[in-house]
Amino acid sequence: MQATAVEQQLWQSREWINLLHYYPDRMAESGYLSHVDDQHFFNATNGVNNPRAEMLATLAAFYRVDVDGNDHPICRFPARLRWLSEHIAIDPATLPKVACADYAEWRGIVQAEQVTLIFPTYHLNSPSSMFGHTLLRLDRSAGENDSKWLSFAVNFGANANAAENSMLYAVRGLTGGYPGIFIVTPYYNKIREYNRIEKRDIWEYRLNLTPAEVERMVVHLWELKEVNFDYYFFDENCSFRLLELLEVARPGLELTDEFGITAIPIDTVKSIEAAGLIEDTVFRASQVTELQLLLEQLSPDEQRYFEQLVTNTSVVKAAGFIALDDSRQQKIIDAAYRYQRYQQLTKVRDDALAKRSHTLLGLLNKYPTDDTPLPIVVPVQPEKGHHSRQVAIGAGERDDQTYQTLSMKMAFHSLEDNGHGFLRGAHINMASLALRANNETDKIKLQRLDVIDIFSLTPRSRFFSPLSWRVYTGLERQMTDGVDRLTSHVTAGAGVAYKLFDDGVFYALGTGRVELNRGFSDKRLKPAVGAATGLLWHFGSMTSRVELAGEKFSNGKYRSRLLWRHNIPLARNHAVHLSVTGENHSADRFVDTTLSYRYHF
Amino acid sequence: MKMRKEILLAAALTLGSGSAMADAAGGAGCGWGNLLFDGSSGMAPHVVAITTNGFVGNNTFGITSGTNGCSADGTITYGGAAMMSGIMNEFSEDVARGHGEALDAVAVMMGVEKGDRDVFATVVHENFSTIFPHDKVTAQQVTDSLITVMKSDARLAKYAA
Repeated sequence: MQATAVEQQLWQSREWINLLHYYPDRMAESGYLSHVDDQHFFNATNGVNNPRAEMLATLAAFYRVDVDGNDHPICRFPARLRWLSEHIAIDPATLPKVACADYAEWRGIVQAEQVTLIFPTYHLNSPSSMFGHTLLRLDRSAGENDSKWLSFAVNFGANANAAENSMLYAVRGLTGGYPGIFIVTPYYNKIREYNRIEKRDIWEYRLNLTPAEVERMVVHLWELKEVNFDYYFFDENCSFRLLELLEVARPGLELTDEFGITAIPIDTVKSIEAAGLIEDTVFRASQVTELQLLLEQLSPDEQRYFEQLVTNTSVVKAAGFIALDDSRQQKIIDAAYRYQRYQQLTKVRDDALAKRSHTLLGLLNKYPTDDTPLPIVVPVQPEKGHHSRQVAIGAGERDDQTYQTLSMKMAFHSLEDNGHGFLRGAHINMASLALRANNETDKIKLQRLDVIDIFSLTPRSRFFSPLSWRVYTGLERQMTDGVDRLTSHVTAGAGVAYKLFDDGVFYALGTGRVELNRGFSDKRLKPAVGAATGLLWHFGSMTSRVELAGEKFSNGKYRSRLLWRHNIPLARNHAVHLSVTGENHSADRFVDTTLSYRYHF
Repeated sequence: MKMRKEILLAAALTLGSGSAMADAAGGAGCGWGNLLFDGSSGMAPHVVAITTNGFVGNNTFGITSGTNGCSADGTITYGGAAMMSGIMNEFSEDVARGHGEALDAVAVMMGVEKGDRDVFATVVHENFSTIFPHDKVTAQQVTDSLITVMKSDARLAKYAA
């Protein structure tokens, strides 16, 4: 057997490379290193960087007699055994007879004929989910026992240590301080986590994997139980690992190659779509989306009853309420119940509220079943949106001087970008750089570098009071006493947003800024406080934003600016962008206009 | 027939009055003692989930069916009995309304065939106050009452036997 493996150089096979999660690494002697960071996963002591040694050791390990039952390599590596048996004549009669009780039990529980890719949408209030998240769901085929809620979700995430505090979680989670691990959990837990608690809509993409391909994935998944992987937020993340599972399922599929630097979840969805794997798409609206829709269906009078009912269930005895149609009463009670649960989402059990919720359910129960679905408007699928990276070239003028600009950003979406497939009011950019070449001085200068730039605009309404906020940090030029200086800063703000009309959102934020500026006399690091207010307006595919903002520093210097940005998409990934900024500083005053062409790729 | 076994297991787990069950329901963290409308269990898991997409504590691989701290032995099936504690809140809403995916999931878990799902929905809807008599009902009590309700209905009795 070993001779066959050696003769055919079988360890170089893509399938073996995939099963062991090897990737090309020039530093390793064999040219390969595994993403798995867990000796338990390998049979050879140098298995982590030697596919050949691992294959030979694995073949030998199947014949071990010093271990039995669940710990035997036959039970722990069923996918390797299966694949090797297909390529090398392994006589099953010669293998030791081992009873794999745990594996058999698990296979009895996790029965799947179909795989669905799950994409919970962007969630700016959660650092790990700003770009969305992906997981897989293992479904039974449509039939008697089919229930998506009972399907198992396969999620790759960090395996954190319970003893640590919250700040450490955040820091270590983003920097690769935790090992990554696969978790298999019923899908209803994921619905609760994303749809309810995090208020995220979920997209479900059924993949066209055949039952045999699904089987191959599930068998391999068992090999990954309690196995630690390297986990890095930007590349070797949830989405990257899922692509590897798909490659194991369907040999020949190559999805991971293009994700060298970053694996943004929606980009992996796009590559899965491009590989022709998506069969159909289902939209699962979040609980709060449903609640908002339900409230929109209530008249002002009905909304008043709803509001009272949330805190006082005896309102149902009021003459005015009784006079309403049964179907209207039912809607009001349903909305009040949902609203109570919404308020309770991340809090510990409140006995008084639990009692009221139970009473509302009892009241709701008195009405006949109404299973007409809510008229949910399914948004544009996120994978139809513009691509994640962007380059732009442009020309502009500041007072009498003209210039050319070149800018690039690694990711992702600005408030003014083509909103097709994106969440309105969700702005998140990383590693965004702009260079400017002045035509008079012939000098090229760094105009700005935003390391991170997040702006979350969520309109408030009568019943919902979300916070709108922004935070951005990096380098940017500021005129300081007549000199254009490159400063570094952290700027943050929080406030409110309101919908003025269907496609227009008004916002107002209080802001704070800390700036390091060589033009400041005495101490160069100075804090400032300020405010920003603006209007974001979508019309057709075009977007316009006007903002008036200003801040005053601790040394008495002030800046104010009025900006207008207007974006005209030409196609999915092409746009023309106009930016006009008028600035008024303590000692300087100017108008800056740029017209640029933007391309997403 | 595979499902039948699971129902039997569910029923056995639910109706079994052994001390093991009492221990579990006594707050060993298995979920059986969970009250209706129990909230989130502290901030740490939430923080971990939002910062790392990860989790803290018990490693789950489907074996403990989403119940923290449960013994892996016996409490597992595709939608076995332990599931009730996992979806009790959602189930209570669906029973009150008379339809929904949580209600369908419980029907599948109980082995109710597609042809009888409407009957199941109607019967539980009519028996909301029996299954959820007050706001401090536990997952185990809900499962017990559900089985009692099913037994007393001619069309559903066969699934609760």
